[in-house]
Amino acid sequence: MAADKSEVLQGTLDLMILKTLHALGPLHGFGIARRIEQLSEDVLTLNEGTVYTSLLRLQQKSWIASEWGVSENNRRARFYRITKRGLKQLAIETENWERISGVIGRVLALEAKVEP
Amino acid sequence: MMDRVLVFLAKLKALFLRSSDDAAFKNEVEAHLEMLSERYENQGMSAAEAKQAARRQFGNVTLLTQKRKEARTTMFFSNVARDLRYGVRQLIKTPVFTLVCVLTLALGVGANTAVFSVMHAVLMKMLPVHDASRVVYVHTTSFPTGAHNTGDEATSFSYATYRELREHSGLQEVIGYIPMSSSGKAPVRVGTVPEEAAGDMVSGNYFSGLGVGVELGRGFLQKDEDGHAPVTVISEKFWASHYAHSRDVLGKTLFIKSKPFTIVGVAAKGFEGTEGRIPLDFWIPLQSDPEFNAWGSPANEGTYLTIPIFWCMRLMARIPESVTQEQALAKAQGIFQQAAYLGIAEKRAGERIPQLSFLPAKQFDGQDDSFARSLKTLMAMVGLVLLIAMCNIVMLLMARNANRQREFSIRLAIGAGRKEIARQLLTESFLLVVLGGIAAWVFALGATHALGAWARIDSNLQPDAVVLWFTFAVLLVLALVFGIAPLRAAVSSGPETALRSSATASQITTRNVRTGNIVIIMQVAMCVVLLVGAALLLGTLRNLMNIPLGQKPEGVLVFGIHPQHIQSKEESIAFFVNLQQRLRTIPGVEAISFAGNRPGSGWSNNDGGVRVDGHTPNGVEPEKANYRHNTVGSDYFRAMGVPVLQGRDFSDADSATAPQVVIVNETFAKKYLGTVNAVGHVLSNSKGFHPRLIVGVVKDHKYTGITEEARPMNWTVFMQGDRENELNVEMRVQGDPMAMLPTVRRFVQQIDPDMPLLEPMVESEVFRQSISQQIMFARLAGCFGVLAVVLIATGLYGTLSYRVSRRNAEIGVRMALGAQRRQIVWMVLRGSLLLTVAGVALGIPAAIAASKGIESSLYGVKALDIASYLLAIAGVTIVALVASGLPAGRAGSVDPSTVLRAD
Repeated sequence: MAADKSEVLQGTLDLMILKTLHALGPLHGFGIARRIEQLSEDVLTLNEGTVYTSLLRLQQKSWIASEWGVSENNRRARFYRITKRGLKQLAIETENWERISGVIGRVLALEAKVEP
Repeated sequence: MMDRVLVFLAKLKALFLRSSDDAAFKNEVEAHLEMLSERYENQGMSAAEAKQAARRQFGNVTLLTQKRKEARTTMFFSNVARDLRYGVRQLIKTPVFTLVCVLTLALGVGANTAVFSVMHAVLMKMLPVHDASRVVYVHTTSFPTGAHNTGDEATSFSYATYRELREHSGLQEVIGYIPMSSSGKAPVRVGTVPEEAAGDMVSGNYFSGLGVGVELGRGFLQKDEDGHAPVTVISEKFWASHYAHSRDVLGKTLFIKSKPFTIVGVAAKGFEGTEGRIPLDFWIPLQSDPEFNAWGSPANEGTYLTIPIFWCMRLMARIPESVTQEQALAKAQGIFQQAAYLGIAEKRAGERIPQLSFLPAKQFDGQDDSFARSLKTLMAMVGLVLLIAMCNIVMLLMARNANRQREFSIRLAIGAGRKEIARQLLTESFLLVVLGGIAAWVFALGATHALGAWARIDSNLQPDAVVLWFTFAVLLVLALVFGIAPLRAAVSSGPETALRSSATASQITTRNVRTGNIVIIMQVAMCVVLLVGAALLLGTLRNLMNIPLGQKPEGVLVFGIHPQHIQSKEESIAFFVNLQQRLRTIPGVEAISFAGNRPGSGWSNNDGGVRVDGHTPNGVEPEKANYRHNTVGSDYFRAMGVPVLQGRDFSDADSATAPQVVIVNETFAKKYLGTVNAVGHVLSNSKGFHPRLIVGVVKDHKYTGITEEARPMNWTVFMQGDRENELNVEMRVQGDPMAMLPTVRRFVQQIDPDMPLLEPMVESEVFRQSISQQIMFARLAGCFGVLAVVLIATGLYGTLSYRVSRRNAEIGVRMALGAQRRQIVWMVLRGSLLLTVAGVALGIPAAIAASKGIESSLYGVKALDIASYLLAIAGVTIVALVASGLPAGRAGSVDPSTVLRAD
């Protein structure tokens, strides 16, 4: 169902943004979109607007904070940075993600051996 | 959890920053789009292409903005606002329904608030003193034989006991206070006009011990009490009414009983003294002059300070922090039981020793039980009224919401959730309750005032915070009930109902009918209870009003006169004789006399000890021959309109030097002389002293109040008695007695400008006030009964009308199949009659139980008074018939051809 898909995507996008801000420091929405585009290597196509939905969500949870600044080409832009609460959350989510992907990886590996 | 809270807070914050954030977001998006298209241009696209690509890559900006708007702030408030708007529209669309609901609520809740407010003030409210839980009223079971007191046995202590308790009982504070007179008031003068004000003579620690602050100046000090200082503290109210809150009131002089007192302070706002229903205007330290003897009684043998057996002082105490109330009481008990016998030669053998007790420092000390019981009964009645009112509104709401089922079905069909509809309905009930609540509060303010006036409580009864919370709680419960009860009926139908909804389908379900029936039966039952109660109490009132008084109090003006500067018995007699002669000259005065105790006020002298011609009175032991006595003036029985059966009335000739005379009533003559032919016999006390010649026998009549039983009474004249400090003038006049007042006032001021007329009233009013509590009780009960009947009528009418309208199709079919008009009418009537019968059957046992509960408040009516019950049943039945008559008639006039073609 459509709702489930977007939910997975939502969570993933939130995690990706948190990690990006953690790794690169304060960034504006455009920068975040570029970074994700770069990393996903066209595997993940995304409407860049949804980045902002995710940013709002993260901000409401106080995981990131924002302030106005000037971009590299002298434009006024809102810069987002990760907060202490965000760092904590990132640690939790990373661990979760690794656990789950580990499990899934093992399950898939298991299937490959039995099938042939 | 924490995240949720943070999100909610962020959304809430966003609510107030809406426009600025929207603009900022727009900027942010535009910047992003520009940077994106710049990038595409750099990759070699044309400007237009780049812009388009950027938009594609970014996604739907409008949708995003909308989604963001919804996500960034909470929709709760805008939804509520929408619901409110819709609710208001709904209420305006059905103005009659709204009005009926709001009025019902106003009456139901308002009456509850008012009664609760009085009950709270009288039975629960604490005095506004510091740490009231440690402050107590001190009571005693009795006073030792050989002492005498002021009448209120439980609250009177001797000055000696007060001193002892204060010195040795270990209580942190013992506070004493004495009313200025039996009415609580004393003559005072601020400027030139004499008037009456209520005041207490108090101990030096009155303010400090109770922990009552001052608005201005200071409270009393111990040295004020010790030196009997001529200083006074006035109440905030008196300050406002007489000095207009002027700050230079300190140091001014207030004349109390013609003695100048310097105002040294104004008591804290809200503190009205410790006398319960009489709010005090001033306080003075304990005084020593004879004029200021306790309760204004004559100081013939000394004052309360010098007579250790005069029990007249009221006491309060503050319990020390270190001990419990029980420990404090135990310690004080021992001290008290010794101190009680100070000044008494010997303790009589086997005497019951007085016991001390502590009572909580409520606004009203030891309120008499009958009043508390009346209030509780009223509260129960008014609660029933509220229940009936609530049922009514629930029924109305249910009927209305069922009528709106098609609307709900359509809303469900086009996508509204049940949650939305439920919220909508809750909002509507909430609106109703708010409107009703406001109306109720306004109503309650007025009703409380009226209740206070009827109960003759002058002190402040206005609803306070506690009462407000009570009302809030009631309203909240109502809002929930009104919201939830009709909910099921409203949302039980699915969207499909809209499609098949027509006159022939969507009939009322059995379940709804059964719920409705139960509600109506309960209402009728409650109504029966209320009506029986009202009938019994109104019967009581009728009996009380019809009691013959044995006199004609209608044309008699009465007022007290308290002469100043009277030193001796001779002066006092001369003063009153002179006064009588002066007042006789007023045109329109038919007769004028005096009375020591004002008839009808409840006060009386109760004496014992009679010998007739030196012998035992008609077989009764002389010491045990009790009688009621009053000191009066010449022409007394003519002035009061009491028939003299034998002999004569008192006359001016019965002076101090003339032979001592007495007049007795019929009962006295029959009981102690064995015959009404008593004139010519001589009465003396049990030892044979003070012989007095019986010169008249008068018809039995009421003395203390309307409910007094006939008992032996006799009267003597003040000219042949002791010194009198105060007498009531009884003046029979032509026309309206109160109209005579200004003239009388002028005459009295010529004698002494400092002498006010004390409590001027018409005698009939004095008697009426002796049953004011019963009057209030009965009137309110009557009001509640009528209210219940009106509510039942509207409820029944509304429900039946609704049912008939829902059954139109069925009735049409019945008629088409040959049913007669009267069969249809009877079908509807029978339904409501059956409900009434069931309600009455349920109500009668409840009414019997309730009547037993109020039996002690009845006079001349039995709890099982058949007439009252029949009346109640007849009342309910008639109301039920009338209320169902209209809908039944409407059912009978259904035209089958129209109905069956409709929809």
